[in-house]
This record gives sequence, C-alpha cells and structure tokens, in this order.
Amino acid sequence: MAANKQDKKKHYISAKESRQIAKENSKAIKYYEKRKKRKANPDEYTAQMTDERNIVEFEDLHTYFFSDAGTVKAVNGVTFSIPAGATVGVVGESGCGKSVTSLSLMQLVQAPSGQIVSGSIRFRSSLFKRDKRGKKIPVYETYIDENGNEAIKKDAKGKPVIKRNELGGYTYEMEERVVDIAKMPVEEMRSIRGREISMIFQEPMTSLNPVFTIGNQLDEVGRLHIEGISKQKVKARSIEMLKLVGIADPEGVYKKYPHELSGGMRQRVMIAIALLCNPKLIVADEPTTALDVTIQAQILDLLREIKGKINGSIMLITHDLGVVAEMADYVVVMYAGKVIEMGTAEDIYDRPLHPYTIGLQKSKPTVDAEVDELYCIPGFVPNPINMPDYCYFRDRCEKCTKKCSGEYPELIQVSPTHSVSCYLYERQAEEK
Amino acid sequence: MVKYIIKRLLLALLILFSVSIILYFLVRCMPMDYFDIKFASAISSGNMSEEDVLHIKALYGLDDSSFIGILKGYWSWLSGFLRGDMGQSFIFPDRVEDVIKNKMGISFGISFVSLILELIIAIPLGIKCACNQYGKLDYTATVLCMIGMAFPSFFLGNLLIKWFAVDLGWFDPMSGLVSSNLPQDASFMARMLDMLWHLVLPLTVFVILNIGSIMRYTRTNTLEILNADYIRTARAKGLSEGKVIYKHVFRNTMIPLITMLTFTLPTLFGGAMITEEVFDLPGIGQAAYKALNEGDIPLIMGYNMFIAVLTVVGVLISDIMYAIVDPRVKLA
Repeated sequence: MAANKQDKKKHYISAKESRQIAKENSKAIKYYEKRKKRKANPDEYTAQMTDERNIVEFEDLHTYFFSDAGTVKAVNGVTFSIPAGATVGVVGESGCGKSVTSLSLMQLVQAPSGQIVSGSIRFRSSLFKRDKRGKKIPVYETYIDENGNEAIKKDAKGKPVIKRNELGGYTYEMEERVVDIAKMPVEEMRSIRGREISMIFQEPMTSLNPVFTIGNQLDEVGRLHIEGISKQKVKARSIEMLKLVGIADPEGVYKKYPHELSGGMRQRVMIAIALLCNPKLIVADEPTTALDVTIQAQILDLLREIKGKINGSIMLITHDLGVVAEMADYVVVMYAGKVIEMGTAEDIYDRPLHPYTIGLQKSKPTVDAEVDELYCIPGFVPNPINMPDYCYFRDRCEKCTKKCSGEYPELIQVSPTHSVSCYLYERQAEEK
Repeated sequence: MVKYIIKRLLLALLILFSVSIILYFLVRCMPMDYFDIKFASAISSGNMSEEDVLHIKALYGLDDSSFIGILKGYWSWLSGFLRGDMGQSFIFPDRVEDVIKNKMGISFGISFVSLILELIIAIPLGIKCACNQYGKLDYTATVLCMIGMAFPSFFLGNLLIKWFAVDLGWFDPMSGLVSSNLPQDASFMARMLDMLWHLVLPLTVFVILNIGSIMRYTRTNTLEILNADYIRTARAKGLSEGKVIYKHVFRNTMIPLITMLTFTLPTLFGGAMITEEVFDLPGIGQAAYKALNEGDIPLIMGYNMFIAVLTVVGVLISDIMYAIVDPRVKLA
C-alpha cells in the first residue's frame, strides 16, 4: 500500500513543475522549428561518409518528444549504417524507437512536439547541380552537324531541346553529395522525399487519402519529381508501377478509390507509390503488421523481388523476427531508444548475445518445439521520461551483475560485424 | 440514387404532416388572441359586443377552442394549404404566401452575402489556426470567436448601433433599408449604395455571430485530418506544405463542412428574427416576429411550415452532397 502511494507520488507533476515543463518545451520547440525552416547554405549540411559503401549512416541520433509530462527520449543515441544494396532489419518491441528512427530519416517525426535534437543522418544523395542563380542546369540534346562538330539540337522555335531521361522527364546535371538530413531544412528535404528515399507505412488502410483516386495519388509523385513529364507519360508510368507490384487490373485500379481495394492491394499501391521515382532507399515501416499472414508473405516476396529490380537498399522495420530472418542482411536490435545489438542476420540468429535478444528469440513461437506456454521476458520497458542512468534492461535481465548498476554500457565489438551493448561481453572483447 | 431520393421525399411528406399538426395545435394554444387584442378598446368603449368579436372569430374558424374545434380548424387550414392557399395574414394586407414571397428576397440576400463573408474569413482562418495550433494567431482567433459566439444578437446589434450610428454617426441610426431623406428620383446606383450603407451593421452582426462556429468547426476538422496517416504519406511523397494542406487536408475538411453548410439553408431563406427586428430590416424574419407578437395565426403557420420544408430539403441535400464529396458514401 505504502509502495503504491509512493509510486503515485512519482507520477504526479505539480503545477509548478508542469509550468516549468511547458515553458521549456515551447522554447525548445521554437528553436528546432526555426532551425528546420531556416534558409541554409548547402555547405552547412554537407557531410562525409565514414564508409564509402554505405548509403545511410546514423550517428548518435537523438530524437525527442517534448510532451507535457516531460521530454521523451524516443531515439537516444542511435548509431548504425545501411550499406548500399543491402536490407537492414530494425527490430524491437513497440515503443522502442524504431519507427521514430525511420521517420527521422524522412524528417517526418510528428512536429511540433517531436524533434531531431542532435546527431547526424548522413545520406548519399544525388542532388541537382545549381548555377549561380540557383537554377537547375539542363542537359541538352546534341547531334553531329555537317562540319562534324557537336551541336545542340533546336526545336522549331529555335529553343534548345532538353534531353529526356529514362522516365520521360527533363535531364539535369546532377551531383552526388553526402547530406546530413538531421541538419537539413525541410524545404531542401522535400526533393529527397519520394525521389531518393521513399516510405511504406504500417497501416495501408489509412495511409491513402480516401477522397482521391489511386491514379491521382500515384500521378502526384510523378508530376512532382519528374520534371517536364507529359500527362500521358505520368499515367503510363503509374500503371506500369501498379503492374510491377502485381496488381492484376492496373487500368481499373488506377481509376478506383482506396476504399474499393483490400488491405493487401492498398499496401501494393503504397509500394507502387514508393517505387515510382526509382528511389535508392525504401523505408518499410512494419509493412506487413496490419495484413493477414498469406498477404504478409506475398508483400515480403514482392519487396524482395523489387529490391533486386531497382538495385536499392531497404530499411525494414518490424517487430517480427521471422520477417527479419527472411529478408534482412543486417539486423539492428533496439531497446528503449538505443541500439543494443547489431550484426549480420546470422550473427543475430545463430549467436545472439544480448540477454534481450536472447529473450526475444526465446519468445518466438516455433513449430518444432512443444511448449505449454510461450516464453515471456519479465517486467516492462522503463518509463521513457526520466530514464535511469544504468542499462535500461537491467531490471528485466536474468544475467545482471553488479557492474550493470554502473553507467550505460557502450557498444562492444565482439566480431568485425557483430557488436553488443552489454557488460557481459566486455571481457570477451578485451581478450580478443 | 433516384430510388433513395424518392424514398426520402415520401418520408419528408410524413414528417411535414406531423410537424403541421403539432404546430397548429401549439399555435392555437397560444394565450393571446389577435381579435381579442384588436377589438379590446372597441369593446370597452361599447362600440362592439363580445358576440360581435365571436362572430368575426367564427368567420376565421377560430371561435371554438375545444379539441374538436381545433381539429376542425386544422382541417380547413390543411385543405387550404394543400391547394396552395395559406390564408389571409391578419397583420399584413396580403395573403400569407405573398408575404413570404415578397419578404424572402431581402432576407435571402442579406443571409447569402453574410454567409459568403463568413466562409471567406472563417475557413482560411480555421485552417491557419489548425496549422499553427496553440500559436499566437490560434489563441487570438479562438478568444475573439468565442466572444463573438457568446454575444446575444440583440445586444451586439444595439451596441453597434449605439457606437457607430449614434455616437460616431457613420451610419443611419434610424435603421431600415432606405434613408428617409433619399430623394424620390434617386438613380438606381444611388439606391443600391444607400442600401449597402444600411446593410453594413447588420452584416457585421451576422458575420461576428456566425464566424465563430464555422471557424472552430474548420479548425477541429483540420486538426484531426492533419494527424491522419495519409497526410504523412502526402508529406513522404515530397509535396510542399501548401499542396499538402490545400489539396490533401482541405478536401477532407470540406466533407463535414459542406454537410454543416447545407443545414444553414433554413436560415438562409428564413431570415433572422431578432437581428432583422433590431435593425428594422423588412425581411421575413421581422414579419414572423411581428406575427408571433400579435398572434397572426395564418402567418405563423405559413412561416413555420416554410422553415420546416426548408429544413427537410436541407437535410436531403446534405445527404446528397455527402455522397458527392465523399466517394466512400453510397446512397442506397
């Protein structure tokens, strides 16, 4: 009874504290919102990749939610990278910050309360080259004239003809540049969203706008990112994408409204929208959670197939270990806003090290073993406001030692590909 | 769709029939009687006897206040109504249908202009407030709108007359629609300008009174839609914030808004009793107000049936509009 009372006392925020929180929140939100809306010199957010093979590198990313009850550190120092052409699975239970990590990558964290506070997200982007006046530099169609020189082709009115790219839009000079998305203004971010990084969401039932046709919502992306494309070409591209994601009657679906399609079909449409501009990276935020099992398998097959076709990377967020095992090359395990273990899929499946990962593996239903009751990790995730200063998993851990009460363990490299954040493996790493 | 509309229209007939019964009985139960008041002085001075008044009442079918008597009265009213004859107004020299026809125009004109003004101000303001939730603009607009909504119309009307017409002298304190000193041979332009000058204050009152609810409604709806998953999808496509709000959010906000607006149909044609009375505008609302005050039974019946028909039609239109703006709704 006494303990209960004390517990209640801990959750109670006095009026004074509440005012203090509100004041600090509005100050912080104002600062970060201003930063997102500023006009920045491109040099400000240009960065350098630590490994040239990577397409995305998260480094010490902090994304906080400034709530009325206090600051929620949803992503609290996450560091991992996505190699080009690979599928990276991010696993963890609900509320561990995996979705927020992916939304941070798109700068789509629910503003104004959610803000990227510090850290960097480096992305290898191909941006339009700009001339001195900030205009895009077009590439013109050329031909060899009678003198044997290269000349720019002109149309009937004498205007130079801009070369068309494979999607049917104008070609512009591009440059490859590594940008830091965490520092990028929203205005600049828009040309990356949908063109270079696209996202598939968890809820296909609510992710499409109910009042516009599928065609309208697909064309929108094409019209936005493929400059100079004609209406017919956009439509052709949209229908081609619908066909690519395995929709049997693409012309018919093009004219339909979202409510006329099933959940699986809608998720296919979402994937079609994501693929429209040949993105380098697809972020799939629990793409199969809301679907039934047979459709899940189909959607996963589709994602795998598509990854081969577009030659891009996938960041797959899920809480389903089976899905990750099937799809991912690399796995990142998150717990309470931090990465606790990462490595190749084999590392995580065959040699899980962190007690949490081991617990997750144990709590997975299997076909061959006969168990009366499914294993369940005891306890709960700690309250995200005022996180303790020791390992967040300590209170639930079966193997916890004295050392675990110390400060939060660093990520320890146990093999070239495998690292874990747990004191149990400290000695092992030192011995090596 | 056609089948649905026919079904609804048949239902509407039933509703209107019941409404007319209730209305007629209520009106007949009113404690005041037009003829008693009108001839009270004549009786006291001895020029008329009680029997004379009863005789006149009998001519209008109003002499018997028993249940059967009221039923008989209702029957004669109904048979007239079905033939398109709503009876002779007591206080106006015209027949009821002509009173409604003649006075509807001015009320509709004022309501329509004020509705347009309200929409032009309230909808963009509501969206703006939702986009900057808890910002300075949001708080200011909300507080002002609440104040506007809280004012009773007669109070606000009289306040404005006192300030702007009496004290400052910007407008004609005599109200009405036409200046008393307007020359008989004034040009059309001059007449219109004079009318507009008289309409500034009433329109202001209408706008202040109604803007709050539309603005709050737009704001709440926009807020709800701004948090929807498909808005996040729209942003993830790389659309600009303007496109996200004015295409994806706005189309969805419009759905409940249009439904709400079709409900304003009765007020659009039916006028506003109190505001028209305060500003002495010769609209249908003022006529109804007078009729109520003086017990003009045919006009009260006619006016209320007019409102009832408009309401029923408004609801039907709103259902049809719903199916038009929201592709998910199918009428069956």
